[in-house]
Amino acid sequence: MKLTVDLNGSTRHIDLDATTSLLDWLRSLGLTGTKEGCGIGVCGACTVLVDDLPVSSCLTLIGVLDDRHVVTVEGVADSDPGLVEAFVDCEAMQCGICTPGHVMAAAGARRAGVGLGDDSGDVDEEIRQWLAGNLCRCTGYETIVAAVRSYLER
Amino acid sequence: MSQTTLPRRMSRTDSRSKATGATLYTADFEHRGALHAAVVRSTVSSARIRLIDCTAARSLDGVVAVVSAGDLPEALCGRRVRDMPLIARNVIRHVGERVAVVLAESRATAEAAAALVEVEYDDLRAVFDAQAALRDGAPRVHDEPWRYPGAVVTEAMHPNLQSVVSEGDADTTEDRLAQSAFLVDETYTIPSTKQGYLEPQAWLAVPLDDGRVRLRGTTKSPYRLREQVSTCLGLQPGDLEVEPTPLGGDFGGKGAPGDAPLCVALARMFKRPVRLVLRSAEDLTATDARHPASVRVRVGCDSSGALTAMAFDALFSGGAYAAHKPTATVNLHGAVEAALGYRLPAWSVRSRVVYTNTVPKGHMRAPGATATIFAVESAIDELAAAAGLDPVEFRAANLLGDGDVDAYGHRWRQARAVPTLRAAATAPASVPTPQGWAGGVGVAVYCRPTAASSTSMRLLPKADGGFEVEVPIPETGTANHTVVRELLAERLDVPAELVEVRQVSTSQLPGDPGVGGSRVTVGIAVAVDELARRWELSGKDGPVEVQSGDSLPKPVLSYAAQVARVAVDRATGQVKVLELVSAVDVARVVNPVAHQLQIDGGTVMGFGSAVMEDLIEDDGQLWAANLGELKLPCAADIPKLTTVLVEGGDGIGEANVKSIGELTNVAVPAAVANAIADAVGVRVRDLPLSAEKVWRGSQSLGEERGLRS
Repeated sequence: MKLTVDLNGSTRHIDLDATTSLLDWLRSLGLTGTKEGCGIGVCGACTVLVDDLPVSSCLTLIGVLDDRHVVTVEGVADSDPGLVEAFVDCEAMQCGICTPGHVMAAAGARRAGVGLGDDSGDVDEEIRQWLAGNLCRCTGYETIVAAVRSYLER
Repeated sequence: MSQTTLPRRMSRTDSRSKATGATLYTADFEHRGALHAAVVRSTVSSARIRLIDCTAARSLDGVVAVVSAGDLPEALCGRRVRDMPLIARNVIRHVGERVAVVLAESRATAEAAAALVEVEYDDLRAVFDAQAALRDGAPRVHDEPWRYPGAVVTEAMHPNLQSVVSEGDADTTEDRLAQSAFLVDETYTIPSTKQGYLEPQAWLAVPLDDGRVRLRGTTKSPYRLREQVSTCLGLQPGDLEVEPTPLGGDFGGKGAPGDAPLCVALARMFKRPVRLVLRSAEDLTATDARHPASVRVRVGCDSSGALTAMAFDALFSGGAYAAHKPTATVNLHGAVEAALGYRLPAWSVRSRVVYTNTVPKGHMRAPGATATIFAVESAIDELAAAAGLDPVEFRAANLLGDGDVDAYGHRWRQARAVPTLRAAATAPASVPTPQGWAGGVGVAVYCRPTAASSTSMRLLPKADGGFEVEVPIPETGTANHTVVRELLAERLDVPAELVEVRQVSTSQLPGDPGVGGSRVTVGIAVAVDELARRWELSGKDGPVEVQSGDSLPKPVLSYAAQVARVAVDRATGQVKVLELVSAVDVARVVNPVAHQLQIDGGTVMGFGSAVMEDLIEDDGQLWAANLGELKLPCAADIPKLTTVLVEGGDGIGEANVKSIGELTNVAVPAAVANAIADAVGVRVRDLPLSAEKVWRGSQSLGEERGLRS
């Protein structure tokens, strides 16, 4: 299948089996910041943005991406340095395998207007709900929530 | 209690590369010309292989070979007992066992071909339950397990035993228990779960022109892996070089050799690099899950509330192979040390690990301790209740204190159990109980020795006045490289940013036992002391290298006391854990953020064990073999976490440090169970503490009351 994808701001014309996963395609390009964890859309380690929405790239088939905009951790590292700084400042990682996914979930949070507080105005609770699709076994999440809040406040 | 720490000079060494996705893990490495491996794994628990039909698999374009036991050397591997074949040889002992392996030019082809391999089995009798495995006439998982290299069992023992440890004085213990004014005799059970690292195990074995093999993989103990693989395959350790690679999580699961011996054997056989990256479900099904356990505790006290005796008897299902356990006893030290925490006039400990036709079990963060402390700290609470005593005061009266001799005969100069317990118990509640719910508070204590072990390091001065430090230890995420940098910068009196820490391959330093057993920070501290001394002695010139271990400091005790505050819905049994307070007995904290992350991450792992996680082993099949079914806590699940650092302890080395990695995950399940009992009077003795179990407990409580009235 022939299609055109905007990847991290540059246009890619590709010809691939439509059932290739977005994750496999990205990694085949050497963009290994996007990690394969569970492979079934549960752990969030492979989160990228498609048209500003965070998606699990392991479950996203390349065939649905014609004329879409895909942003990976490599893309935001360059275009949104404040995001990386928030994670570095808050030390929001240990082993780091989930970190790119959390970074991308945070990028999606800002684009979705997260951070204004839930019904009760509790920003941290809103962030925790937003991050529910990204697992971290190391940290206990406290510094990750802090990093996302810090980024949304920047 | 305030937090006094070293001044913060720099963040951790690895934060930027991890936040930008630049850190490369094993699966991020490709190798030109590599063969991609996919393993055909057994779908049955106990069988004889009748036929492996590779015809369809071999016919796929891009398949180079389909290999089974007959093509490979008859080799056994393991960390201590070598009882695990490279690949199943005729007999299948668990679901997920390696039956064949496909090598292909791409991963997709290898996996597609693996699915086409047809295996026919003749089913054999199987045994899944540890208790059943020890009955007379139970199906034997292995014919003659005592013959395996490294076996600690004998022909006289039950053939399904992997290990038995018995300590203490059983006769005196029975007498004292019989004379106790109050006695608890209960059995507590925990299921299997997984370490839960998100990076599946992966290996890349590259054969070199000189006959050696360079191995990259998900190992937390590269030098031990080198030894295990070379022993298994009849090589010299120098024939294998393990490359430095960061890990995407470990928690004990990445100390086992896993599929590494197979990949090395294949790379040597085909003279091409072999790359195997497990899928997550495969990793959950086929690698070293936590030992499920059934623990009987009998513990008594006299009428004044002084403990009289404890008889502890743990039975662990070790799965189909003992290969994943590294200790000399092939047992789990958490269970062997069950009598450590309290002053016990009499005690006995027995810990048995048995073969079953289930996934081979391995180490998970404080191995054996989660089961042990869930049992002991639940029983202590039940005993306090039976004696009508406050659970905190009852513990305070019986825990070890400074100068006490523990059950095993070791005198501890400092044992700060009671101050740690008081710090947890007096931390103010910060989350209100929701209206209409029953609130409860529970406490539990875990005691663990910290001991340094040998490691090696090399210091190389740089022209700019800075230093490069070569270390043998992989960065598992605990910030151990950052700790090396901070301690060394302090000792050499240079800014931390002038110290660069690098893990090097196993060919470049003398050795290291690997990450585990809470040994890293203390081991680093001792090695850094030695390195700094050598640097002074060298006249501050040239590279200096140390292998510490000649005179290791005495071990010290560390405590964690944890309080759970819960709310229970009487109508449904639903449990909300509102808050977990962790009071931790520490000496000096090197890096406060990294230290806190270990506390928080451990506490959340304990929370998962307490109320969420169960691999659900049923007739040898894992029903939760994916991260959708095995529920690991997410950000939205976890309660309020509160930490109290009980500082001022005596630690190890000039840096005066204690370990932290395996302290806070252990006591949480007991604390939550005790809080549930406090809230609604229901005692749940089986993890996880689910709504169903609490509800059933409250129903039978109601029936008892109904009968009485």
